[in-house]
Amino acid sequence: MSGETIIEIRHMHKAFGPTIALKDVDFTLHRGEIRGLIGENGSGKSTIMSIASGMQKATSGEMTYLGRPWHPNTMVEAQDAGISMILQEANTIPGVTVAENIFAGHETEFSKLGIISMGKMYKAADQVLDKFGIGHIKARDSIDHYTFEDRKLIEIARCVTDDTQILVVDETTTALSLEGREILYKLVHKLADEGKGVVFISHDMDEILEQCTDLTVLRDGDIVGTLTREEMDAPDAVQRIRYLMVGREIGEKYYREDYDPSCQDEVALEYDHVTFGGIKDFSLKLHKGEIVGLGGLSGCGMHEIGRAAYGLEKLESGRVLRGGKPVTGPLNAIQSGIGYISKNRDTEALILEAAIQENIVLPSLTALSRHGYISPRDEKKMADKEIDSFRIKCNNGGQWVNTLSGGNKQKVSFGKWTAKGSEVIIMDCPTRGVDIGVKQAMYALIEQMKKDGKAILMVSEELAELIGMVDRLIIMKDFEVTKEFTRSPDLKQTDIIEYMI
Amino acid sequence: MTETKKFDFKAWVKAHAMDLAAYGGLVVCIIIFTIFPPFFGENLWSAAKLSTLMSSVIVTALLSVGAVFIYSMGCMDISVGGQVGLYATIIVVMGNKTGSLIPGILLSLVIALVIGVVNGATGQLLHIYPIISSVVFMMILNGLRSIIYNGLGTRSVTLSGAEYRMFRSPVLMLVVLVVEFLIVSFLFNYTKLGKNAKAIGANPTAAEQSGIHPILYRVLPYLVFACCVVAASVFQMGYTGSASDSTGTGFEMNVMVALILGGMPLSGGMRSKVSKAVVGAFTFSLLEVGLPLIGVPSNMTFFVKAVIFIIVVLITCRKQSGTLPR
Repeated sequence: MSGETIIEIRHMHKAFGPTIALKDVDFTLHRGEIRGLIGENGSGKSTIMSIASGMQKATSGEMTYLGRPWHPNTMVEAQDAGISMILQEANTIPGVTVAENIFAGHETEFSKLGIISMGKMYKAADQVLDKFGIGHIKARDSIDHYTFEDRKLIEIARCVTDDTQILVVDETTTALSLEGREILYKLVHKLADEGKGVVFISHDMDEILEQCTDLTVLRDGDIVGTLTREEMDAPDAVQRIRYLMVGREIGEKYYREDYDPSCQDEVALEYDHVTFGGIKDFSLKLHKGEIVGLGGLSGCGMHEIGRAAYGLEKLESGRVLRGGKPVTGPLNAIQSGIGYISKNRDTEALILEAAIQENIVLPSLTALSRHGYISPRDEKKMADKEIDSFRIKCNNGGQWVNTLSGGNKQKVSFGKWTAKGSEVIIMDCPTRGVDIGVKQAMYALIEQMKKDGKAILMVSEELAELIGMVDRLIIMKDFEVTKEFTRSPDLKQTDIIEYMI
Repeated sequence: MTETKKFDFKAWVKAHAMDLAAYGGLVVCIIIFTIFPPFFGENLWSAAKLSTLMSSVIVTALLSVGAVFIYSMGCMDISVGGQVGLYATIIVVMGNKTGSLIPGILLSLVIALVIGVVNGATGQLLHIYPIISSVVFMMILNGLRSIIYNGLGTRSVTLSGAEYRMFRSPVLMLVVLVVEFLIVSFLFNYTKLGKNAKAIGANPTAAEQSGIHPILYRVLPYLVFACCVVAASVFQMGYTGSASDSTGTGFEMNVMVALILGGMPLSGGMRSKVSKAVVGAFTFSLLEVGLPLIGVPSNMTFFVKAVIFIIVVLITCRKQSGTLPR
């Protein structure tokens, strides 16, 4: 039964007002396929499958699922019919148990005369969790006790049932650590072996090349290329895919090309025996013109270290010093020239329901105000400068941030701090959910910042970018520093991983 | 972006639905109350009616304009009615004692600022919804008022010791309203005060991470509002030259209804505008003054207002959905 068509999409067209997301797209998924979908932000890769899984409707076009015309109205309807989609954002119900999350909408299966037997539900949920290899999660616990990653895994357990025909994984792996990814990869391959179809939407080219059997590349709402497994194994595959995605030669230059880890002698930021939460006695000196990387698994404490430099964590002992003075909170940090880009872009770094301009100028309002008066012209000038230099794709600075794609949103949160002229920039997962073209631009920007003498603390879950960009790489595991590496052309991911897990 | 932009009427309407509904509502009210009252032998545009309208508008408008600062942060102040009642009483009583309105106004201002500081700061310091402290103040103020009137042995006090008739002049009302509107608009649109308040309403975490002092910039808007409440209290007292134990009752709801009619989002954020308070206050008062003019019995006006309110809410407050491609 392998090779038989599961879903066929023909002439699909989708427009959001004047913005065209998909132009006349044809897409077919066969049994046993793990189809990668790759493309820049706003290329429409998520849109195709969100229409097939009932999240939104196409403007025009036809879909045929299991040989019949397919018009799902809701995601629940699609899921019941066998198309499940795991989304990028958190999608669990807070405040209730894990079991209630897994069986949300299916409680009647456990009820007798209208009374739900929680015992039965817990038992069934524990079985489901075991089946997915995430037995460390207990059905009776409140979902709030689990980390973002565990909640994502719970979501996967909820989405995938025996009836699932098509599983859509939309940028899920950015939220997962290595172990979580392994669980997901195993599941994906198992489904494919069972003759189901999988659509794997990701920004991570390595992951796509490793896991997928076929690859479809989109650009500006168009399918620009389809690669078979053989083509994906070709030595120039990465270049070819990048070329297809961006539509122009982006060149070899991606990460930094120099291997000179030198920096100025002046200390820009210092952690002085800092202890809080799980972190014990952490010390670090960040110099002007230096990029220090913090790497590890998601729960290793590296994100908290980044937050501490911005005064967002309450220190039990020790100090974070900037210019000899302790950092006490965001306001004080900004005044002393520190900028912080949170990894939670949509909830912490940006005000989604506000204009690009309002976001960019927000930390700089004090600098902009003259005797209390803030001139709209000055605001616009400041914002337009960032919009131009980052090439933020928008109509004008008045456009709301929630209408931008992920990469462009991230550019806005970078723009806040370049506009402010911050000397120390703490970036937590700066390229999360950002596509190659934008990544390349951001790496170039980070390199420029280094040349300009700025001090950068880069917290990242992506080893490749840490190796590619930083002067010093600090690896953490269970809230402790396990190893420090210096920039070198010989540094390999495999050398590092053993200190992480 | 090289593509030329064509003027998309539909998109424009969609983007401005809230404003259109708010301004449209005001225009419709004006048209209806201009055309129909003559059939009932009344005229909205007569000097007498305009004066009634202005006196009805002024208190709600002065309060609503100031309240924009509070609502833009996604907060509410329920103690408004109690405050107006207390300040009106203080102004009358002290006016009779001292022969001048100034001491009463100053004392009211001091109390208002203290209440503002507490209302603004407690939410953040004690991690409670800011509305809670204003509910507490509502109860305290109501209690205080009944103690005062019990002590006075009466249910109302009349000002006899000081001149107050100037506050009945529609021209002065208009001038004060315009001045307050201009000052609040300036603070709201062209200073950190307003920009920070909107940012706090739109996303408190992001606001704090962008360097907005979480307590200071929650307190300052309440202080602006405090000044507006005192101004409104002066006109409330001045219209009749008296205050009673029921003065101010329900004003907090009038403010809320006016702001909603004006298209102000209750969750606050970047869509907040000072002009919405003025539009809403005028619509609200036009209904109050206009409905009796077109033969709606006064005991029916509440139902008519309820219907209009629902219609406006359905147009303005519904969640605008629609996601762009990722």
